[in-house]
Amino acid sequence: MTLTLNQTNKPLVPLKKKSSGRLMILGFLSPTLAILLFMVAYPIFSLIWNSVHQFSALNLNQEFKYVGLENYTYLLSDADLWQRFIFTGKFVFVCVSIQMIIGIFVGYRLQRSFRGRDLIFTLLMMPMMLSPVVVGFLWRYMLNSEWGIVNYLMSLVGLGQVNWLSQTTPALFAAAAADTWMWTPFIILLATAAFRGIPDTIYEAAEVDGASPAYVFFRVTLPMSAPVLFIALILRLIDSFKQYDLFFALTGGGPGSSTETVSFAVAKRAFNYFYTGEASALAVILLFIIIGLSMILVRHLNNMGEKN
Amino acid sequence: MQDAKLGGTPNFYRAFLLALFGTYIFFNLGPIFWIIISSLKSRADLFAMPPKWIFDIDSTGYESVFGVGAARGTASAYGVTDSLINSVIVSSSGTFLAVLLGTLGGYVCSRFDFRGKGDFLFFVLSTRMLPPVAVLVFYHLMFARLGLADTKTGLVIVAIFANVGLATWIMKGFFDGVPKQVEQIAVVSGYSRMYAFVYLVLPMVRGGIAATAGFCFIFAWNEFAFASILTTTQAKTLPVKISAASGATGIEWTQIMSAGVVLIIPVLIFFYLIRKHLLMGMTFGILGRS
Repeated sequence: MTLTLNQTNKPLVPLKKKSSGRLMILGFLSPTLAILLFMVAYPIFSLIWNSVHQFSALNLNQEFKYVGLENYTYLLSDADLWQRFIFTGKFVFVCVSIQMIIGIFVGYRLQRSFRGRDLIFTLLMMPMMLSPVVVGFLWRYMLNSEWGIVNYLMSLVGLGQVNWLSQTTPALFAAAAADTWMWTPFIILLATAAFRGIPDTIYEAAEVDGASPAYVFFRVTLPMSAPVLFIALILRLIDSFKQYDLFFALTGGGPGSSTETVSFAVAKRAFNYFYTGEASALAVILLFIIIGLSMILVRHLNNMGEKN
Repeated sequence: MQDAKLGGTPNFYRAFLLALFGTYIFFNLGPIFWIIISSLKSRADLFAMPPKWIFDIDSTGYESVFGVGAARGTASAYGVTDSLINSVIVSSSGTFLAVLLGTLGGYVCSRFDFRGKGDFLFFVLSTRMLPPVAVLVFYHLMFARLGLADTKTGLVIVAIFANVGLATWIMKGFFDGVPKQVEQIAVVSGYSRMYAFVYLVLPMVRGGIAATAGFCFIFAWNEFAFASILTTTQAKTLPVKISAASGATGIEWTQIMSAGVVLIIPVLIFFYLIRKHLLMGMTFGILGRS
């Protein structure tokens, strides 16, 4: 019956309905479009415009001076700022690689059925839903060198004490640990979904051929789940690159300014020093990096869509 | 099947993997357990070394969050209760409006083909990628000019902007799951498309709307970057208030732990309700469409 309806449907719909469809599209989309134009497009254009001017949000009436690309050349010649990029890069690399390895391992392990698996899976997903500020403070509390539980547990197994948050390199690893705690579940979530998509028959065939588990994992499971794992990778790269909240609560950018990410540097320039023009230029640079990564993701998604 | 596959591996290797798995579970669940324990400790017990596993439950932290008991009218001068109320107002109205707009947008994107649809969806997706501080440099100026700085209205607008994209994408996925014949039959029977949408299709995606609302609420509730820059006194939300408890006079750990747990509890409740849709919600509807 549905089939016949489907076929006879087109001529039956009067022309009038078509224009009501157009009205519906317009009416339903325009509020969202208005909000996005006002909150995304407009800010980005004025950010670019602001970035070629020298001014401060403190005195908007004066000193709105066109300086061309001076803000950019100044920023790019600032050795201090390069440190922020280097730190952010290190942080992204450490976080994302650790998270991918643990996430894929735990996701693979969760493929095996055991009692209470669904419950454990759900519980494991909790950290990524929490507020980064709470996560930051919680880890700051746990990593305290005097009364933190991390150092206590380390002393139990005979490891030395570390001043996690008052030294540059340990602080990087402390931040990576907090980020890993929060976001490995995301990789687990996507990895289990990817692994579940591989048909059992392929595993059975590999078993008949006498392939070792390691061979099956590296030659069958990983390549077949690569498209989804790649999505996980890019999303994590984007999110850890723009990380701000966690550092705000965990290290406050310290010790000194050694754990300031690029986002942090933008915020500091804009809201502490009120170098608004310069901050806009840095925000534009940050935006371009994020847009570049997003483009890779979108192209990948389009490729995946074509294959299906 | 998977068990059989690992059948040939040596025992010590399996034990090693099991130990690694166990370590991860401990690493993952330990901190949540620890924040709940710590939130019930007195100030002295919080800093005890070695950490106390058995202690007298102390509710001073929670009292100061809700401004009751000993903290009535005093330490709640920190205004934690006010910020909690702000958080509830901002995230629930932001969620309501974002889900409303997302439902409308998602429906249209699921049912109609129109020029620029791909661009629109990409534009919507960009809200997921944007670094908050980048647009904040501009919001900061704009909100001051429009008188929206430090107001709940301003934060609600931000909450809509931050979540409408997610809502549109997820709702599109749920609408895609409803057969198009529903509207076709309705139109053939003489009902308008609008009638079909409101009375036939919407009731079929009730579960989807609830899940979308759950995600939007969690994200709006946790939101920190925007709220921290755009509020100063009146409209502070709970995450901002928590971060303000670490000030020049040191960190108010009792309050941070209790306020942290208060912030976490609604999240965990909503998380439990939406757990089936997690993949869809966390990937912006890219994956896990049903």
